[in-house]
Amino acid sequence: MSELPQASRLTGQVVALDRLSTSMYEMTLSLERPVAFLPGQFCMLNLGGDREMVLSRPFSILHTDGPRLSLLFKVVGAGTRLMAVCEPGAPVACLGPLGRPFLPPTDDRPHLLLAGGVGLPPLLAWHRRWGGDADLNLFGGRDGGDVPWRLLSDGWQCSVDRHDGVPADRETFVGTVIDLAGSVLDTDAAPRRMLACGPLPLLRAAAGLARERGWECLVSVEERMGCGYGVCRGCVVPRVAGDGYVTACQDGPVIDAAAVDWASFGRAEAVATDCGCEAGEDES
Amino acid sequence: MNTLPAWLPCDPRGEFRLGPRVFPGRVWTASGCFGYGLNGHDIVSPDGGTPLDDIGAVVTKTITLAPRHGNPPPRIWDAGHGALNSIGLENVGLDRFLDEIAPALDARAVPFVVSIAGTAPAQFSEMTCRLREAAAGFAHWHGVELNLSCPNVAEGGIDFGRDPAMVRACVEAAAGETGDRALLAKLTPNVASIAELALAAADGGAHGVTAINTLVGMDIDLATGQPVLPRRRGGYSGPALLPVALAKVDEIVQETGLPVIGVGGVRRLDDALKFFAVGAVAVQVGTAQMNNPFAATAIAAALR
Repeated sequence: MSELPQASRLTGQVVALDRLSTSMYEMTLSLERPVAFLPGQFCMLNLGGDREMVLSRPFSILHTDGPRLSLLFKVVGAGTRLMAVCEPGAPVACLGPLGRPFLPPTDDRPHLLLAGGVGLPPLLAWHRRWGGDADLNLFGGRDGGDVPWRLLSDGWQCSVDRHDGVPADRETFVGTVIDLAGSVLDTDAAPRRMLACGPLPLLRAAAGLARERGWECLVSVEERMGCGYGVCRGCVVPRVAGDGYVTACQDGPVIDAAAVDWASFGRAEAVATDCGCEAGEDES
Repeated sequence: MNTLPAWLPCDPRGEFRLGPRVFPGRVWTASGCFGYGLNGHDIVSPDGGTPLDDIGAVVTKTITLAPRHGNPPPRIWDAGHGALNSIGLENVGLDRFLDEIAPALDARAVPFVVSIAGTAPAQFSEMTCRLREAAAGFAHWHGVELNLSCPNVAEGGIDFGRDPAMVRACVEAAAGETGDRALLAKLTPNVASIAELALAAADGGAHGVTAINTLVGMDIDLATGQPVLPRRRGGYSGPALLPVALAKVDEIVQETGLPVIGVGGVRRLDDALKFFAVGAVAVQVGTAQMNNPFAATAIAAALR
């Protein structure tokens, strides 16, 4: 994919940290050079100074504007806890853009976009760039407080597991985003190309829906990452037919849902391994 | 040119000789932390540099005779002061390495050392022999580093790397096949006496040793009470290792006088200088290279 934007490692600083929902933050960085990206690409972010982490963390890119880059995150561990208390001016290092993106429409089929939680940026960026009127853009959150309403004003439908905290002027489906998709597709079964990004259960359900309908489905996969550029082989996702793994960072994060072994993805004990040793110990 | 400390026991700039081979520099990337040396060529720094600039050698990801899929994920975990990994020696196998990767490295003028692992001394000699036959004409292939950390399946699961007699046997098996390339043995720190292992490697014909490989480590997910890695324990690397690695390198240098490539916790120039202070002839950058593709080249540039 020679058309991918040039990746670089840039330093910079945090210019804004906005809380978009009970769980979600938008962090905006100002970097030393302009950055271009394609929807679905990500960056590896580290903090500077005393807050430097041993490993950078991967985040899908939400938006860039010249040297400004924004991303979404929720606090899930030590790294994102540090990010959530960054003040403007906090130093950062950012490697990106990385990975294979969601590509533009290949024909006139409408799209079904399925986003969950902080899986929103790739699909929001895709929708802003290439979305069409016939596309169905669905976002799922836990409850009204969990939804980044400010980002979802333009052509998006929402689902929530619980109706608590949903603004009165927001029509919102109660159930999973897959349930919402099902309810809409009951009355509109036109073939679609599916794009999905979010938690593993959402991706697994999206892959199942695509399989049922015989639709193409591209998913952005997530696994714990060490490097983001293919050197550590940490972020592997099981391939179908027990044929080893692909890496989320280099072969993905956007991959064909039909290439993933969904039965074993995320279930370590179910994955056949050829390793007869205590590898890891002393491994390199 | 930077001003380096006057106390440095060697001049860390420029080329240096290790056994039969002259290496272009003393800052290398460590096995398993920079792939096969073919990634990152297309990543640029703001000044237009690449991660490969001034690198003394890339030690490849460990190659085994047959391809390996590696361990189930999650394979990597940031434990705060260091990283835990359980990759499981995933690699393309010797055939594909010789057919595709070694020629590509040489064509791109990447100075490289091939890390190999086996389950019996005979595998080390077979792999080294085939490597020499395939790569003897490659100007940028500088050596072999034996990853002596896989259990000896043939001997019932005793780690190669912890048994001096086995270390010697493996090194000896490879030494007959390396020709004019440097032969290194990468040693485990998970033993009472690393100097004893270094002496065994030297007896077997190693031109130097690489120290240290990862410590055995573990972390627990407090949400579940379970280990964060599916295989429970993994290799612990990163900045927390620096004092341990310095002590192990110091022990080897003081007790044996062998050439040592220091590795463990090197993130920046100051860390590398500490290894040179205790007598290391070169350093490898491991976990820091995962965090920052320019970690090693930045240290190399600072030494220039």
